[in-house]
Amino acid sequence: MAAHVDQYSARLLRQEKEIKILAAEVDRLKNFGCLEASPSLEGLRDENAKLKYRLNVLQKSLQEERNKPTKSMININSRLQEIFGNAIKAAYSDLENPPLAVTPSQQPKFGDYQCNSAMGISKMLLKTKEQKVGPREIAENISRNIPDNEYIEKIEIAGPGFINVHLRKDFVSKQLSSLLVNGVRPPAIEKRKKVVVDFSSPNIAKEMHVGHLRSTIIGDSMCRLFEFVGYDVLRLNHLGDWGTQFGMLIAHLQDKFPDYLTVSPPIGDLQAFYKESKRRFDTEEEFKKRAYQCVVLLQSKTPDFIKAWKLICDVSRKEFQKIYDCLDITLVERGESYYQDMMKDIVQEFEERGFVQVDDGRKIVFVPGCSVPLTIMKSDGGYTYDTSDLTALKQRLFEEKADIIIYVVDSGQSVHLQTVFAAGQMIGWYDPAVTRVVHAAFGVVLGEDKKKFKTRSGDTVRLIDLLEEGLKRSMDKLKDKERDKVLTAEELKAAQTSVAFGCIKYADLSHNRMNDYIFSFDKMLDDKGNTAAYLLYAFTRIRSIARLANIDEEMLQQAAKEKEIILDHEKEWKLGKCIVRFPEILQKILDDLLLHTLCDYLYELATTFTEFYDNCYCVEKDRQTGIIVKVNMWRMLLCEATAAVMAKGFDILGIKPVQKM
Amino acid sequence: MAAGPDALGLFTAIGLSEHKARETLKNEALSALLREAVTQAQGILGPAVDKATGTLLYNVASRLKDQKHLRFLVGCISSKKIVTDLQLNAALEYVRSHPLEPIDTADFERECGVGVVVTPEQIEEAVEAAINKHRGQLLLERYHFNMGLLMGEARGRLRWADGKSIKNEVDLQVLHLLGPKTEADLEKKPKAGRARPVEGEKQQTAVEENGDVALETKSLLEQLRGEALKFHRPGENYKTEGYVVTPHTMELLKKHLEITGGQVRTRFPPEPNGILHIGHAKAINFNFGYARANGGICFLRYDDTNPEKEEEKYFTAIREMVEWLGYKPYAVTHASDYFDQLYGWAVELIRRGHAYVCHQRVEEIKGHNPPPSPWRDRPVEESLLLFEGMRKGKFEEGEATLRMKLVMEDGKMDPVAYRIKYTPHHRTADRWCIYPTYDYTHCLCDSIEHITHSLCTKEFQARRSSYFWLCNALDVYCPVQWEYGRLNLLYTVVSKRKIIRLVETGAVRDWDDPRLFTLTALRRRGFPAEAINAFCARVGVTVAQTTMEPHQLEACVREVLNERAPRAMVVLEPLRVSIANFPAEKALEVLVPNFPADETKGFHSVPFQPHIYIEQTDFREVVDKGYKRLAPGQPVGLRHAGYVIAVQNIIKDASGQVVELEVTCTKSDAAEKPRAFIHWVSEPLVCEVRLYERLFLHKNPEDPAEVPAGFLSDVNPDSLCVIDGALADRSVHSAQPFDKFQFERLGYFSVDPDSTEGKMVFNRTVTLKEDPGKV
Repeated sequence: MAAHVDQYSARLLRQEKEIKILAAEVDRLKNFGCLEASPSLEGLRDENAKLKYRLNVLQKSLQEERNKPTKSMININSRLQEIFGNAIKAAYSDLENPPLAVTPSQQPKFGDYQCNSAMGISKMLLKTKEQKVGPREIAENISRNIPDNEYIEKIEIAGPGFINVHLRKDFVSKQLSSLLVNGVRPPAIEKRKKVVVDFSSPNIAKEMHVGHLRSTIIGDSMCRLFEFVGYDVLRLNHLGDWGTQFGMLIAHLQDKFPDYLTVSPPIGDLQAFYKESKRRFDTEEEFKKRAYQCVVLLQSKTPDFIKAWKLICDVSRKEFQKIYDCLDITLVERGESYYQDMMKDIVQEFEERGFVQVDDGRKIVFVPGCSVPLTIMKSDGGYTYDTSDLTALKQRLFEEKADIIIYVVDSGQSVHLQTVFAAGQMIGWYDPAVTRVVHAAFGVVLGEDKKKFKTRSGDTVRLIDLLEEGLKRSMDKLKDKERDKVLTAEELKAAQTSVAFGCIKYADLSHNRMNDYIFSFDKMLDDKGNTAAYLLYAFTRIRSIARLANIDEEMLQQAAKEKEIILDHEKEWKLGKCIVRFPEILQKILDDLLLHTLCDYLYELATTFTEFYDNCYCVEKDRQTGIIVKVNMWRMLLCEATAAVMAKGFDILGIKPVQKM
Repeated sequence: MAAGPDALGLFTAIGLSEHKARETLKNEALSALLREAVTQAQGILGPAVDKATGTLLYNVASRLKDQKHLRFLVGCISSKKIVTDLQLNAALEYVRSHPLEPIDTADFERECGVGVVVTPEQIEEAVEAAINKHRGQLLLERYHFNMGLLMGEARGRLRWADGKSIKNEVDLQVLHLLGPKTEADLEKKPKAGRARPVEGEKQQTAVEENGDVALETKSLLEQLRGEALKFHRPGENYKTEGYVVTPHTMELLKKHLEITGGQVRTRFPPEPNGILHIGHAKAINFNFGYARANGGICFLRYDDTNPEKEEEKYFTAIREMVEWLGYKPYAVTHASDYFDQLYGWAVELIRRGHAYVCHQRVEEIKGHNPPPSPWRDRPVEESLLLFEGMRKGKFEEGEATLRMKLVMEDGKMDPVAYRIKYTPHHRTADRWCIYPTYDYTHCLCDSIEHITHSLCTKEFQARRSSYFWLCNALDVYCPVQWEYGRLNLLYTVVSKRKIIRLVETGAVRDWDDPRLFTLTALRRRGFPAEAINAFCARVGVTVAQTTMEPHQLEACVREVLNERAPRAMVVLEPLRVSIANFPAEKALEVLVPNFPADETKGFHSVPFQPHIYIEQTDFREVVDKGYKRLAPGQPVGLRHAGYVIAVQNIIKDASGQVVELEVTCTKSDAAEKPRAFIHWVSEPLVCEVRLYERLFLHKNPEDPAEVPAGFLSDVNPDSLCVIDGALADRSVHSAQPFDKFQFERLGYFSVDPDSTEGKMVFNRTVTLKEDPGKV
């Protein structure tokens, strides 16, 4: 009996122990004890927690930076893109790069902006996940994921799945006040980048023609835009100032003005001089030989020949400067000659990297994806445009440390430039994901007959003549309108140049640069439609509103600080929204370099203003006496904001508005 | 030697004995100063300097704290503006309390009695007035009267009078009044006899008024003896040696006084990353005690600048312990309350060129002589931007720190002020990712709270200059840091890390295991807060580190518990006793005094019935010499019961173990007086009793010389003895955790929080007497 008791109690004891062990094991498993096995897991968890914490801090910092009373204008479109982007990411986190489309609405009934991503996402879901989800449902899902924010008043879903966004009036109103108090500021940029713009670039001893005019006007406007947003811009005039033609010019110079080294040669018409030497070159065998010798001597930097070269360049330069002065354009001259000494190294670099093939004595470089090879050295050892453009590209990348390089060159050069860029990437000079090198191409200028722009006699139109005709036509127009009777002589002259050169520039800029464009003085000077003439008139009129109400700058400033801008009237709201779109317009141009967007915007702004002005009294006057009864200050502020944005727009386009016209 | 051989001549020339001059020369700093002083004086007075002037010069050189005033004071001595030691004392005091140059000469001369001439007539008059005032007492006590009082009063009237002249005058006038000394006058006054009772009386009245305060007041007085007596008065920070005075100091101190109203302000600043231990008790007592003794206030400030280590439980535990010790913080604050202000000041510090953002890695700046930071001289603007970047999360942890441009006492260069931690803070949540360091935070929080005396342990001495430097670099009020020695206890470990190890290895049950010396452990063991405070007071506040034995603390515990813990009877190893001739039908009620020494403190009753239990050890079958308790033929008294029992029959089990005694009882007054009285219980409660011994076998378990295998190897295997079936009398029935008792003949015990409705658990706090083996 006792033995049994002992036996059983021993067993009981064992079992109780076992129960305890098992209970402990269950507990351990409940607390994920099994996971303790991996020490690196703990580390990764910690790291993950820290990263999440940091992400949160960074997001808050970003918010803080945004909420800081910033002077730069807010790009509403990009803010909305961000909000919708986040909402889409939250709603469809498993989609890779879901489409994101936010644009200003075309009609007020569709709200102020609209997001049209739902349709794209629906297609994408069908394609990649084989899920059939209606866009409307997707739109609803996106809308649910939009957090409260300072921009959006409300969201509506319309049609198949458009998300219409209504902006908050107080937000727009605040933006307008800030614009008036701080002036028109560019949208904020992340980093001050270095931008090289290669434009204008005429050839020495040849006349500038309308093709150069396009490059000059477009390039200058781009520079102005980049300068405005705060980039470091280098405006380069890549002059054609080197080459075999200088041999014959120098030889001819030596013949015609043997004492050129001491007495400055009176070359009035360089073009005639060029033609004459060309004729001799083509006809006189002896002269041709000497011309070649001259080239060799120039390239070896023989002082007398360098002097001769400089003399010839100076003559050209003076001619070019006249045009630049008229159009108010500044440039840094850095012609092909600047790169001559560097070319040897470039050729060597390509050779060392094994990119060079010798073909019939020439050194050529094949670039993948480009049909025509680059010739970097001719069979006689001379260099080509390919060589100098490669050299210039490298110099701009490495010495100028450019982040953006823009070539404003006609589209005929497209193949050549694309090949040069591709070669630069091939040899590793830059990564297109980091450095932006673009050819801002433009089409040719056509006459009103839609043929190449020529004089009646069939010659190329000299630029200086064109500008002079512009001035004349502009004066005729002013006189037609009897402005000469209202304005002082000085005011009239200012209006004349403002209109003449403004119109020439605007006509060029307001067309998509990729297309050919028809040059027509009649059209550009028309004061109706999307022309500089119309905009300049509109601008002076807006400026005059305050002046006529006896409200000065100081009063407007004061009001901008203290008075809220009311946007209750439909037209007020429309105008207000239009004004605050300015930064997104600029951002778009910074991305695609298409300046006509700015012209279209200014035109839209001017017409929207007219709508506003026709519907909303700014100044109320007694009908009989004409005495001012009431000034609606917030509307005066809207006028002022419109004028400020227009003025900045003109500034970027290189147009100089006048106070009176 | 700096002073050179001719210095000896120079010093003797001003009247120093050759011996004294040689002694002086041994002190380089002093002799350099004295040399400067003498040279200056000789320039004015010529080579012969009279002895009186010489003595003054020596005194000024040896007693002046701030050397920049030497020229000025020597000038005063040489031009005979200061001619007595009395004036010199006043002058030294004056420059001490007016640390800023230039000295207002007119005010100085007025304060130092320059040009004041005291005539013998004036002295006569003053002494006469003093004697007239005390005439009655003087005539009564005659020469036993304290003549110093008269001199003091005369001096009070004539501040600049020569002490000797006054004494002579007093002697003369007293002689005139009393005549020559009689024999009775020459007898010694029974000094000690009188003073004591007066003190005793005072104490007793205090006890009567408020029993709790008495002990504490005494302890405060005790601990504030010594170093703390030398503390500056609020607003006179500059009087502390080593305090740095800037052009803004006086203005800041003035504002400080306006804010505090001259109140003493201290703080207890624990890091909320662990449990308080006995060492902290000293800090709590010192800070709270000093404030209380001076009618000031004390803050409890959590130094919560390291978010990684903080847990809510520590905050509450710390506060609980402070309150348990009997202190109520004026306010509970957190370093994190001031994060905004601290950040603003950091920006200002950068602006002033005193701090910069550094990218050296922690590993790079560790150890001795780390390379100086290559970013030390980066532009202010850059540091400002980068610091903002740090705050905004632009850097990884360790990628950037903010460092202060200063060299610390120990040669450490440019301590870090801010570092990046992507960790939420328990109070500021996700607001910050940069957190300030101790070096940066501590003094500025003290400044914000207008702490007058920033008391800390000696490890922080090396940080004193950075403390002063930072406050001054920002031109904010600068408190005085004062360091005292740590309190260490033998036979224990207090570091958080080591306690964790002990808990993990099962050597102790938890943080509050009564064998540890954390405050929660001590409370659980039953140590009264008053005892801990008294212990701290006994240790006192000294600059030197003090190492104490646990039994010294235990002695304090006994002192308190003797007065506090009511008696109870508990039998640890029971032996059943049946009383055959029990005098009553039912149980009797026995009244037991709570404190036998003072029956005014009440009684409790315990039942007494035919079956009782006594300690097994209180019965022996065979008596040896010296054994006085129960044995066959040797009756024993039952404490408090009034009966004596005598063994009649011994009942044993199969193995021969005594299991029960049958006894007869006799009323004590009817019986012969027994040789001993023992405790007993009847109708008892079964309870658990935990007996504790020292946790470690060696004095310094952390010392590798003493314990080569590490402190874990030194754990005493017998440190805990659990007695499961102890029997307690019914008086402990409704006791609450931490209630304390004296178990008769066993020791002091405290109710453990582990107690349940059905079973009480007692911890032995201390034995009744010090175990001689432990000393």
